[in-house]
Amino acid sequence: MTTPQEYVSFQHVQKTYDGENLVVKDFNLDIKPGEFVTMLGPSGSGKTTCLMMLAGFETATSGEIFIDGTPVNNLAPHKRDIGMVFQNYALFPHMTIAENLAFPLKVRKLSAHKVNEKVESALNMVELEHVANRYPKQLSGGQQQRVALARALVFEPKLVLMDEPLGALDKQLREQMQLEIKHLHEKLGITILYVTHDQDEALTMSDRIAVFNNGAVQQLASPTDLYESPSNAFVAQFIGENNQLMGEVIEIEAKKRCTVKVGKQQILARPVSVERAGEQTLLSIRPEKIMVVQEDDWYENQVTGLLKELIYHGDHHRLVVQIDGVGELVVKVTNGSHSSRDFEVGGSLTVGWRSEDCHALDCPNHAEQQGEAA
Amino acid sequence: MSRELTELDSVVTLQKELSKSKGSLKSQLQRAERQKQIRSLLLILPLVCFICVTFAFPIIEMLYRSVDNQSVPKGFPNTTQVMKQWDYEGLPSMAIQQVFMAELRERYADKTLPKLANRINIEVSGMRSLLMKTGRKLNKTNALPVNHQELIKLDKRWAKPRYWAAIKTLSAPYTLSYYLAALDMRYDEHGNITQQPETRQVYVDLFTKTFGMSLAITLICLVMAYPVAYLLANLPDKKANLLLIVVLLPFWTSLLVRTTSWIVLLQNQGVINDLLIWSGVTTERLAMVHNTFGTIVAMVHILLPFMILPLYSVMKGISPTYFRAARSLGATPSIAFIKVYMPLTMPGVGAGALLTFILSIGFYITPALVGGRSGQMISNMIAYHMQTSLNWGMAAALGGLLLAVVLALFYLFNRIVGINNIKVGG
Amino acid sequence: MALPSYCNTRERIGYYGYLGFCTLVFLFLIAPILIIVPLSFNATPYFTFTEGMLSLDPEAYSIRWYSDMFSSNQWVNALKNSTLIALSATIVATVLGTLAAMGLAANNVPFRNTIMAFLISPMIVPVIISAAAMYFFYTRLDLSQTFIGIVLAHAALGTPFVVITVTATLSGFDHSLVRAAYSLGANPIYTFRHVTFPLIRPGMISGGLFAFGTSFDEVVVALFITGVEQRTVPRQMWSGIREQISPTILAVASMLILMSVLLLLTLEMLRRRNARIRGIRE
Repeated sequence: MTTPQEYVSFQHVQKTYDGENLVVKDFNLDIKPGEFVTMLGPSGSGKTTCLMMLAGFETATSGEIFIDGTPVNNLAPHKRDIGMVFQNYALFPHMTIAENLAFPLKVRKLSAHKVNEKVESALNMVELEHVANRYPKQLSGGQQQRVALARALVFEPKLVLMDEPLGALDKQLREQMQLEIKHLHEKLGITILYVTHDQDEALTMSDRIAVFNNGAVQQLASPTDLYESPSNAFVAQFIGENNQLMGEVIEIEAKKRCTVKVGKQQILARPVSVERAGEQTLLSIRPEKIMVVQEDDWYENQVTGLLKELIYHGDHHRLVVQIDGVGELVVKVTNGSHSSRDFEVGGSLTVGWRSEDCHALDCPNHAEQQGEAA
Repeated sequence: MSRELTELDSVVTLQKELSKSKGSLKSQLQRAERQKQIRSLLLILPLVCFICVTFAFPIIEMLYRSVDNQSVPKGFPNTTQVMKQWDYEGLPSMAIQQVFMAELRERYADKTLPKLANRINIEVSGMRSLLMKTGRKLNKTNALPVNHQELIKLDKRWAKPRYWAAIKTLSAPYTLSYYLAALDMRYDEHGNITQQPETRQVYVDLFTKTFGMSLAITLICLVMAYPVAYLLANLPDKKANLLLIVVLLPFWTSLLVRTTSWIVLLQNQGVINDLLIWSGVTTERLAMVHNTFGTIVAMVHILLPFMILPLYSVMKGISPTYFRAARSLGATPSIAFIKVYMPLTMPGVGAGALLTFILSIGFYITPALVGGRSGQMISNMIAYHMQTSLNWGMAAALGGLLLAVVLALFYLFNRIVGINNIKVGG
Repeated sequence: MALPSYCNTRERIGYYGYLGFCTLVFLFLIAPILIIVPLSFNATPYFTFTEGMLSLDPEAYSIRWYSDMFSSNQWVNALKNSTLIALSATIVATVLGTLAAMGLAANNVPFRNTIMAFLISPMIVPVIISAAAMYFFYTRLDLSQTFIGIVLAHAALGTPFVVITVTATLSGFDHSLVRAAYSLGANPIYTFRHVTFPLIRPGMISGGLFAFGTSFDEVVVALFITGVEQRTVPRQMWSGIREQISPTILAVASMLILMSVLLLLTLEMLRRRNARIRGIRE
């Protein structure tokens, strides 16, 4: 059922607790060896359940899960040889750090010499040699996190699962750890399945991201594709910021361009989820793709409105522009290209964008589809 | 399903169909859940069986004893049968009386009469001698009395209905007479429930005294515990822990040791009397032990930690910001305390008071050692019936009543506080 | 709790009155216990402070009651019995209680509250009732006046403590630790031995100590169902108090106070150690 290309394979996996409501609906995912895949979604979307099914702590009520070609539905968790990092680290409080790290090695009955060797190299890997004899309670949150990571890697598993491991850290530490995990991934070449609700984290670290909502994958793609070409309204809203305009499709031109009537304006957009004229659609435009129109500029879409607010964000400005009959647009302008002196709150402002940066998506009211994307 | 089969497409389709039929999946899941439940129950089973055998069955047996009346029906089976025909009017018919006499003679002859006579004597005193005497006389002759006069010749008392009534009342296998006696009531010669004669009315008074004393003890404990708990809850941790030892040490000291120390302190030649005389407060030695006073003092000492600890626990959880908010709104400290702080401590007060009261009404040791004659409580009477008067039915009935009261109070405690919140030792 | 400077005189009086009252209560709590100890060194066979004792005359003090206690057959036997009975009862109570607590910790137990109430009932029911009931029942089963009888009775009285403490320990138990151990390759038995058991051990020990203390101090049930051969220390003390023959009971009482202090210190140490280890989540 699996070709050598896939190291982990979920096939038509479903999960229900009471026999009626599906917590995970027809989940399919193939992970290549050495890939870093993130499952991203809001709480309760089913992503952690899928992780737990792979780990063996939950059983799929239908469907199969394969690791390296072997079906694992009936394999007990302690036989699966998968490394796991838990949300609260789950470091054994009654053992020292060294003993925590030695635990999986002792279970596998390695010689004392080998155990010490591997524990030492694991500690080196996360730069925590000096805390070997301390207890988890005596370490900071960041240090505990690194120990949890080291413990999941010390017995050299080929697959590592991480369940929102950075949730409890502050912003700076989190960003630092994201890079460290990414570097470890590249160095060791292990396959990682990562769960988070933080889209910045997902975008930074992953090779591919599976966006979850209501138990179904909305889109499975690389970070770039996900951000630049969201396949439905949920993904567009969930990843990055976007401006949303509701309108009606007037005409579609061969999958490349469509004309959408928004209020009194006609907007040119790229058709993503729309099929025919007359459909209601949600237009999604990223704030940084809207440009302030200068002297000689020309854009496919150009509108003029009132500058309502100007917000300073250090390295960029946010402009809130009120367009008659269309709505409010948020425009992101870096301070390299403009400075605040260029703008006058209350004055008129013309902005424009390309049609390919404007995606015509489904209307959220219609979409409970279990869409599988590329 | 073996792994090879799962590779087949048809089986995969079948799996999909199975997953669509909610019924079978739901029952599968329920079965798995039930298996987990059974595993948990198996862990609990050994202890449940153990408690049943060593504790629950004895209690049930005791309750059975409180209504058990088998001795008389077993000893006088025929009498029991025929007595059903008599309705307490006048005297039983001669036939009935003869049946009784026959069995009385048998019982005397096989020497089981004394025990039965004791039992019957509990209902109507004097019947023991009546039965023994009549039995002895009957045993000497072969013939049974055939009419009223001959019966009266054996003993005049057989002319009185109440002795016959006692026998009838006792010939039911189950009786409420112990419980009635525990509430100072009895069956009269017509089988109705009436009050016991004044001289025998002891139990209601005893219950009243027990509850009264316990109430007094609870209130005294509350008054003493409240300020102390407040102090402990508001001191910085290090000092509070130190003072907490002063509360916990008595809590952990043997009950007997504490009671002994009170005897030593309060007795006539004891330390406190010495102190009073020496300091000139009194000229005579006060009788402070072997009476109600001694019981109350000793029991307050023993139960005080049970009042302090729940109060302390609740008070520790009250944020000081409430009090401050009240003061900032213009309330004086007294008003803020009474209207804001005290209501917040009510759960602790309820828990502590209920706990203290429940423990107090069941106490045995302290009243037994320091109570003397006037400081006795219900539990002492139960022990008396068990060891001295050997009236086990009575002991069981009193125990049953006490148990009912304690269980009712504990049910109340559970509603207010909850079993899961009991913390032992803090 | 220092008095702020804006308090008036009435408030000051109230405050010092409150402190004074608390002091009196603390004295009330601790004095009776402390009094016993010096009295047990009384050279005369009386239960009061003699003139000599008050003037701290060393002649007025002696350890004769302690030597009496240790040389008396009755007391030594009673001590042996008490220790043996308490140990046996504690072992039974700890094993059964821990198993039950583990079963009760799972959320899926039906009638959990009722079962819990039933298992705790020996602690709630007034001991005179338990004693009477056990007396009737054990006599019928010929268990009265036997070693096994009193051990069973004390075990029954001790299990509620173990159930309560171990349940409390388990409620704070982090289940992701078990999952972590599984994910690291440990099977359920290995996990229990190396992860679960060490973490619930403090609760088991606390409960066991409570059960031990309860059994050692228990007198009412002992009064009714022990014979002369199984006499425990409290049972012996009971006779001693009733008849008040000699201050040897004061010596015994002092020893028991010492035991309580040790028990208290052990429990406190355990509590601190437990809090330190669990600190990861506090």
